[in-house]
Order: sequence, then C-alpha cells, then structure tokens
Amino acid sequence: MTAQAADLYKELVDILGEENISSEQADLIPYMKDSYTALMRKAIPFPDFVVMPGSTGEVQGIIRLANKYRIPVYPRSFGVNIAGSAVPYAGGLVLDLKRMNRILEINEDTMTAFIEPGVSWGQLRKEARKKRLDIIPIGGPYDTSPVGNFLLTNITPYSTRYPADRAVTLEAVLPNGEIIRTGSQATRTGAELNPYFRYAYGPDITGLFRGSLGNYGIITRLMIRLRPLAEVEKNVYYAFDSLEPAVEAMKSVERLEITRYSMLSNRHLSLRIAAHPDELRDAARRDAIMAGLPEYQLVVGLGGKSRQVELYEEMVAEEIIPRGGREAGFDDATRAVMDEMTEGASQKVLRMFAPYAGFAAVIGCVPAARAKDLNAAIRETVKKYGLKDALSGQPLEPELIVIPYDRCSTVYVEHEILYDPLDSEGVQLVNNCLRECYARLVMNYGAVHTMPNRSLLRVVLPSYAELLTGIKKMVDPNGIMMPGGPYTLEEQLKAEVQGG
Amino acid sequence: MLAEFRENIYHCLKCGACRIAYPEYTPICPSGERFGFDSYYAIGRMEIARAVLEGRLEPGEKMAHRVFTCTSCGACEEQCRPAVGNRPLKVIEELKADLVEKGFVPANLRNFLKNVHLYGNPYQAPREKGGEWALGSGVKEYRGEEYLLYVGSEGSFDPRGQKIALALAGILQKAGVSFGILGSRENCDGNEVNRIGERGLFEALAEENIRIFKELGVKKVVTLSPHAYNTFKNDYPGLGADFGVVHYTQLIRELIAGGKLVPKKSPAARVTFHDPCFLGRHNQDYQSAREVLGAVPGLELVEMERTRRNSFCCSGGGGNCYADLLGGGGDRNPARIRVREAYGTGARVLATACPACAVMLGDAPAAEGLEGLIEIRDVAEILLEAL
Repeated sequence: MTAQAADLYKELVDILGEENISSEQADLIPYMKDSYTALMRKAIPFPDFVVMPGSTGEVQGIIRLANKYRIPVYPRSFGVNIAGSAVPYAGGLVLDLKRMNRILEINEDTMTAFIEPGVSWGQLRKEARKKRLDIIPIGGPYDTSPVGNFLLTNITPYSTRYPADRAVTLEAVLPNGEIIRTGSQATRTGAELNPYFRYAYGPDITGLFRGSLGNYGIITRLMIRLRPLAEVEKNVYYAFDSLEPAVEAMKSVERLEITRYSMLSNRHLSLRIAAHPDELRDAARRDAIMAGLPEYQLVVGLGGKSRQVELYEEMVAEEIIPRGGREAGFDDATRAVMDEMTEGASQKVLRMFAPYAGFAAVIGCVPAARAKDLNAAIRETVKKYGLKDALSGQPLEPELIVIPYDRCSTVYVEHEILYDPLDSEGVQLVNNCLRECYARLVMNYGAVHTMPNRSLLRVVLPSYAELLTGIKKMVDPNGIMMPGGPYTLEEQLKAEVQGG
Repeated sequence: MLAEFRENIYHCLKCGACRIAYPEYTPICPSGERFGFDSYYAIGRMEIARAVLEGRLEPGEKMAHRVFTCTSCGACEEQCRPAVGNRPLKVIEELKADLVEKGFVPANLRNFLKNVHLYGNPYQAPREKGGEWALGSGVKEYRGEEYLLYVGSEGSFDPRGQKIALALAGILQKAGVSFGILGSRENCDGNEVNRIGERGLFEALAEENIRIFKELGVKKVVTLSPHAYNTFKNDYPGLGADFGVVHYTQLIRELIAGGKLVPKKSPAARVTFHDPCFLGRHNQDYQSAREVLGAVPGLELVEMERTRRNSFCCSGGGGNCYADLLGGGGDRNPARIRVREAYGTGARVLATACPACAVMLGDAPAAEGLEGLIEIRDVAEILLEAL
C-alpha cells in the first residue's frame, strides 16, 4: 500500500470502522466483473478499496475523502448488474451500499415508499404488500434494486396505467460532497412536511438522475411510487403467429387505457422462462416444451374490481381476436411461472440468462410501427455473423421483448443474444455482432435508450453533449464519479462527438 | 479438482440470487450477513474460484477466511438451482479442498482437523472418555441391539450436547427401543471434515467407522446429529457401508405413530422450530421434527419467516461449530439474527434437532438481551419432558 493509500485508509477507518473497509484482493475481485464484462475489450484493474457505508453521512464523508485524494468512486446499490455499469474501470473506491437497506416509510396515503439504495425489489414488495400496496411491476429480478437497476439504468415494463417515471423525489450526495434533495424535498420545509411530489420549482431535477449511472452523485434515499393492490388482478395471455399483428394488438389494447402492463415476447424467451435450466439442457424435453409455445405471446395485466376486470377482459379480447390473436393455453405450471415473471421482481426472470450466463442485450426505443423492421434487422445481423444457440447448436434466434411506453406511442424493443462465455470464438463473434446491431439500430432507425451505446454516443449532438458534460463538471469538478466507464458522460462523450 | 467445476464457475450469472431467500425476500447467507463483502457470499466465492482457476489470485490465509466461513448450509444452492440451475456450494467445497491441499486453512479449523486426527473428536478428549456422558443412565455399550445410537462428538463431549444425548437416550428407553452406544469406540463421523475438504482424513475416518460397525454387526444406526446422519446416509455407502441410518426425529416420529410413546402436556407452550441444514436442505426432511413437536399436547408450533428450505443457518456447519469463524460481529452475528427472528414470532422456545445448532444458538439470547425470554431447546428435551 502506498503512503497515500495508507493515509486514505486511516481516514476511511475513522468514518466506517475497520470492518467495513477492505483492500484484500479476495474482497476486491468479486466487484471487478459482471456477466457483461466478458464482452468488454478492456481489463478492469483492482480497485484500491471496497467500502460499505451505512448512512448518508458516511457516504458524504467518503466522497469528501475521494475529492481530497482525487480517487475514483464506483457506487453499487444492491450489487447486481449485467451491463458493466458498476465495475471499477479506473480502480479507486467501490462503494458497496447494501448495508443501507432500510425502508424508512411506506405511506398508504401517498402510495409511496421512502427507501435506501440497498433495498431490493423483493424486500420492498414484501413490506408494501403488508399495506395492500405493491411495487409497479418491473422486468428485473427480485434481488435487484429500485435505485440501481431502475432509476439509474431504466429496466422496467410500462403501461397505460403506470408511466415510466416512478421516482418521486430523492436525496443524493453530489460528487462534490454536497447533499441535494429534489422535487418537493428541495425546500427546508418540504423534506419534513411533504417529500411526496416530484415537480417542484424549475426543471425536473429528479429526472436528471434517471439513467445517470452514478455520474451525478450517489442516491442515498429515494421516494418511489407504489400502486394499490386491486381486488382482482389477472393476466391474460394471447398467442400470435407473427410479430406485426401482435404489436398492432398491443397498441390497440394499450389505447383502451385500462392495462396494468402489457408485454410481447417471442417463443425463444418463453422457452427460457417456462423451462428449468436442466430441462433446457435435455434436447428432447426442450423441443417438447418449445412445441407447446406460441410464436409470439402477448400478456396483458388487468386489475380492479371483479366486474371491472370481467369487462376489461372482454374489451381486450375484442381488440385482439380480430387482429389474429388467440388465447394462449398453458399448463398450470407454465402459467404459474409466466404469472410470476410478468408480475415482476421474479426469480424465474433469471432463467432468461441461464444456463450459460453469456448475455448481451440490444435495446432500442422506436415507434410501434418500426418494431417489426427493427426485429428483422437484428435477426438478419445475428444470422450474418453465424451465431449459434449454445444449447442446440442451431442458428441463434434472439429472445425478443417488446414493451409499450405511454399508450404504445413508442415501444421498447429488446433482443437478447445468449452465448456460452467458455466459447471464446463465439464471444468474439457476439461482440462484433453487437456492434453492428447497435450501429444499424441507431443509424437506420434512430433508436435510443437511456443507457447509451457507442453508436449512439457517436451521433449525439454537440450541444446535447455540452449540456451533459457541463452539468457533470459543475457537480463533479474533480471527475471522481465513474471515470472510464462505458457510459461516462464527459471526456468520452466529447471525444466521440469530436471524432464523429 | 477445481478445474472440473469450470462450467459451474463460468456459468455463474452474477445475479446474486444466492444471497436472498425466495419468495421471502430475506437474506439467506450466514457468512454474507456476518461480514457483508461480496466475497463472503456465493456470488463472490464463485469469482474467487474463477480467479484461482485462472491464476489471477494467489491462495492465502485471507482468501481462506472468505472461503472457510462458508458453513455448507446449502442456502445459496437452494436459491440458485431453481433460478439458474447452477451448483455454487459444490464449487465452494471444491475450493475448500483446493485450499486444504495447498495448506491454507484458518488456524482454528487446522486445530479442529488436528484434534479429530489425533483424538477422533475435536474436543481433544481421550477416546476412553467417550461413553462417560451415559454413566448412570442405564445406557449400555452396543452388543448387537437393534439400533446403534451414534451421539457424535457433541453428544459425547460437549456439555450442551451431552444433555441432549441423555434426553434422547431417556426417550428411547421409555419407548423400549433396543439400542446401545459405541462409548470409547465412537469416532468422529467426518461430515465436517469432508465439507471442509480434508478428504484424506474423511476417508480414513469413514473406513475406520465402517470397519467398527461391521465388526459389531451394526445394521441400523440412529444419530443424534443431522450432520452424522447426512454423511452416513450420503457419503458412507460409496465407501462400502451397508447399514441403514435414521435421524432420531425420524425414529421418534414412528414410535409416536406406533403408540410406543405418548406425549402429555408440555410446559413449552409456544415453540418455533429451527430447521438444521443437514436434516432439511441437505436431506429434505422438514417434517419429522415438526410432527414430533406437533404430537405434544398444548404445544403451539409457530413458524419463523425463514423456514424449511429457506431456513437461516445458525452458522455452525463446515466446522464452524468448533472453529467459530463467524463469531462476534455484534448484531450481524448469524446466531443472534436467528434468535431475534425466533423471538419475533412470539415463541418463547426456539427448538432445534441438532446439538451443533443448540451450541451455536445457546449464547445468542443473552447477547440479544433476551435471557429468560427465549430458551434454546432440542426437540428431544421437549419431548422427554412431555412423556
């Protein structure tokens, strides 16, 4: 340990106590990798320390030290990531926030929860349900975090009933060590009397943190929207033979403005969810399960009083049947798994990635009418690179998920490319394929997502980049937060713009 | 060989399912809860295993602490299997064996292994004292009775375990079961030795025990400890054992069902049951102990949130009952976490069916300020009192 690192360690101990700091390589190495890093073309160095603060005050103390010593900081909330967005690209401090796992309040009146960053979706759901509330369904698993995996990276299904913005207000330690509160918490009285309203004076500062991946600070408390549990909650499943009518049907259903959520997927995704990984490894069993699954599946979540749901069900059928949809029949076990998955915070959603752990997503948001073309482009690119399904050895068919935003004015289109990370040749092919997929997605369709990709960065307008980097410089004058990461909003972004 | 588990290691999703009980959404890894860093959860240990395999991390004492604080409770695997289909515990135990081979074992565990090797038990107790716990109880050494009662090291030498062994012997006597003990010939069963990865010593212990059992003509064994039950049932047959084995709760359940034991009213009114990992998760028996408790009139059995397959380990497995690598830690201590959870149910008795669990949980009520408010008892003790 250098003299400077020893001094830093001593000061960190003063804040956290020895038991919450480590510079042991065995402790550091688990933070240097996630399921995406196999695809990255750069080595991740050992961080200097991993630290586990237990309060906002401790986070603030750490950030002040990081500025004093000019050392990078990489926060992680509950510690699960699949996109390389929480690994220490330039060493420094890994800030493991899972000790900050308190649910400070669940308010039945405002239908909100006030949580710390180490709270998982599952933990929040369990406590919310005690008060007849629930999380608004998310696409991710139960062991991820509303702060890290929703607010910062944007994974979740949307619907007519629940819009994208579920964060209400928040408290964050800015990279310069100051504490900020947003929305109605931004006033001296609001934090105490009314922390429940997002839109306060001036621009929406809560929204600034969405998709920011730690660049603008560390969220230490988040007020998040919940939903009331309905008397009856029901999922209806429809099968389609092709994608276009399925998207059309989803659009028409969303415009009824009655859904709790809806999601469209192809049979390759359904297979992964429905089957246990052991069944997937058995070719005969896998084929048998696959044979019972529709080519495309639309699930619509309904809720309300029983007569309301009955009516909604009829209304949904009236939109779907004429567009070529039919009720999808599943056995009870498959249906239970599908229900669990669609309600969110699921364990079974993890099966999407199993059993080979190599996972890459191609994500873009486009008008619903472009979903079919975008899907064709991605499939064509995957075919061009000759990617193979690691299970069957057959040409790979990507898993497809289509989710509506704002009454289906836009759809979120995600293709999953699964591979075996032990197959180094295959990994290289996937990497090249991914780059071309994103290039086509951005250049031919103008597709975007809050998590920027390299192709997207290349075409960002200079004025947009200036604004983002300007804000970053203002709150992070020493550039301590997340330097070198794939989504860095400053030097890399600037270089890309200039180069482009 | 760790390399044989390469697929398991590389196919870890880093999803963290191993840390959380589903669908209770509660923490499930005792060492992770105790120490906090990812390296103390399966998600981190898988990455350590990978780094060792790739030569990026040199084995050493510090790494050994991260690995051997795993209690082999199996909770990580219970979560990972249905979701991802992976086997993290297999990898961790193989990593332990790799570290044993390279000579990196925490000092307390080294002492445990040395004592087992020298004395046949971890307590450094002379073998000839093996049957002293039973003096005056009327329990005899095994001479071809129907059952061999195998009480193990805790039952033979730990004061808490001895009380439980005596309670069990008393029950068997009341039921008229024909049984005997090994006394000074009893040797460590080796379950913990095996889980730690000292495979040579385990095989030597198992072969010696099998030889003794065969010499004495033992056909049926009833064990006090689920740990012994586990290794006799799952590991010994592969080494030539040909005896049947039951855990004592399984035998007692049958004795109650057959009318050989008739429990009367118990003073233990509200009881919650802590599933021992080697009876529950490792051998899928969640019912026997509950049925025994359920047969006691007036006893109300309430469940903790983490129960059965998602039971939270007391932290005594993997040799930690002796090495106490997870000791201390204030309110992060797993035994204290478990006692808090039990007390939260309103139960005033935390029952278990494992002497190692009873030992590990024993001090936690006082540490939690709950002395006199919740008591740790073995199912055998509760039943004997009700007979």
